[in-house]
Amino acid sequence: MPKAQVDRSLVEHVARLASLSLSAAELDRLAKDVARIVEYFEQLDALDTRDVPPTAHVRLDRAAWRADETAACLTRDEALAQAPRVEGDGFAVPAFVD
Amino acid sequence: MLSDLGVTEIADRIRRGESSAVGVTEEALANISARDDGVHAFLCSAGQVALAQARAVDDRRASGKSLGKLAGVPIAIKDALCTRELPSTAGSKILAGYTPPYDATVIERLLAADAVLLGKTNMDEFAMGSSTENSAFGSTRNPWDHARTPGGSSGGSAAAVAARMAPCALGSDTGGSIRQPASFTGTVGIKPTYGRVSRFGLIAFASSLDQVGPFATDVRGAARVLSVIAGHDPRDSTSLDAPVDDYEAACERSVRGLRVGVPEEFFADGLDPEVGASVRAAIRELEADGCVLRPVTLPHTRYAVATYYILATAEASSNLSRFDGVRYGLRVGGDAAGADLRGMYGATRDAGFGDEVKRRILLGTFVLSAGYYDAYYRKAQQVRTLVRRDFESALAQVDVICCPTSPTPAFRLGEKSGDPLAMYLNDIYTLPASLAGVPAMSVPCAPTRAGLPIGLQVIARPLEESTMLAVAAACEKRAPQPTIKPVDWTRPSRTS
Repeated sequence: MPKAQVDRSLVEHVARLASLSLSAAELDRLAKDVARIVEYFEQLDALDTRDVPPTAHVRLDRAAWRADETAACLTRDEALAQAPRVEGDGFAVPAFVD
Repeated sequence: MLSDLGVTEIADRIRRGESSAVGVTEEALANISARDDGVHAFLCSAGQVALAQARAVDDRRASGKSLGKLAGVPIAIKDALCTRELPSTAGSKILAGYTPPYDATVIERLLAADAVLLGKTNMDEFAMGSSTENSAFGSTRNPWDHARTPGGSSGGSAAAVAARMAPCALGSDTGGSIRQPASFTGTVGIKPTYGRVSRFGLIAFASSLDQVGPFATDVRGAARVLSVIAGHDPRDSTSLDAPVDDYEAACERSVRGLRVGVPEEFFADGLDPEVGASVRAAIRELEADGCVLRPVTLPHTRYAVATYYILATAEASSNLSRFDGVRYGLRVGGDAAGADLRGMYGATRDAGFGDEVKRRILLGTFVLSAGYYDAYYRKAQQVRTLVRRDFESALAQVDVICCPTSPTPAFRLGEKSGDPLAMYLNDIYTLPASLAGVPAMSVPCAPTRAGLPIGLQVIARPLEESTMLAVAAACEKRAPQPTIKPVDWTRPSRTS
């Protein structure tokens, strides 16, 4: 496992990927925690897993497909009822250009 | 009544007309008023909603209609479960005041069995924690000693049952969040086989690990609640289409001849000597009941904490991306503040999430990010396979595995909250069964000299909850009764 250099700038980059606007003080504190915990993760290096398949999920073999039929779902009003901001028939978000 | 009777006795008395559902619910609500100031198990009490449900149960009985298996039984619900009549916050400021437009499948099943929803219980924010100290709404205290935590993340549910504010509760268990608080509070808590109980309406933390399960004052009560909530749900694609056994009958089953595996890795460094002695004594009692004890080995146990905290944080970082201030919950910034869309996302999530949730989102995003995915996330998935194989191999030789639920009794509030890694390491004995997806439960064994509860963990093969319950019921029968009671029992509560 390549050792990751978990420092403040890497954690700042990760926070951006995760849409978290952290204050400078939070970033200082959390970067230290993340670095320490990632270092703990590296003990998995001790295991040879070359021929081991990954487990993403256990026991999906007995899961059944649901019938492909239409069914009732939330009405638009129900879906919009808890939205912080609504415009017309939809969720309102700040203007953006991507 | 709640101080003396469990789930099955209460439901049976109500069915026979010896008690009324309204009377039992009033007693539970009175216990909450008298005791919860000290414990803080509940985030909201259902009050009039609960009384209306109880009245409906009494009316059904009066008109000669048949009643369900949980007729009139008050049940406390972890706040991670969606309830359309009660707010559901998952212990997070980002969902403060949110009331979902639908009930979780387990809630529908409880109501169909005539249970009464008593209120929503406190939890670590988004179930991330082992002490309930990570709730945005204050810590829950252990009813046995208010200076200690009830464990977590389902600490509110466990404390509500321990203080007899409810005879049973629902929790959710991702890496031990039902079993560890059950152990800390002297209650029975079950994490069913992954897929045994529907996750529809459970606010997701780590989808490949999350499972809903019951707490109760006794094994039989927990078995009855499990029999109501278990079963296939077309709305959860990971729910198993397998028959549901008669879990209550299993509690009466003889354990003679069952092979009980004792994994030495669970009695290693870091185990509190009193916990070790109590659990070993409980296992020896099983031998007296005719069980055959066998040493087994689960060699990858020591890697479970690292594996779990890579996989669970990765899944959490993805699951929690839905909280962005658009469809529900808190929103900070936006047009008025002059922020763009990304700024609104970031400000909302920074204001809405607590420290531990941010820490885990950062860890999870990191292990999934370009350049690190194979080294951390994929590696952990491979080690998960090794942990799973450990259990397959051990459970081919024995019928159940017995071990401690937690390495220590309940720790003090504040003892570990400043050190996230120390908090994670406390989960060492519950994480392996979660990674393997097998059923596991905690049942009280002899308490410490100071009177703090200790839990024995019973682990079984997938979908063999019945065997697990039979062994847990045998332990319960032989466990020494605590000589002291939780401090909160002494507070006056009776209304009728």
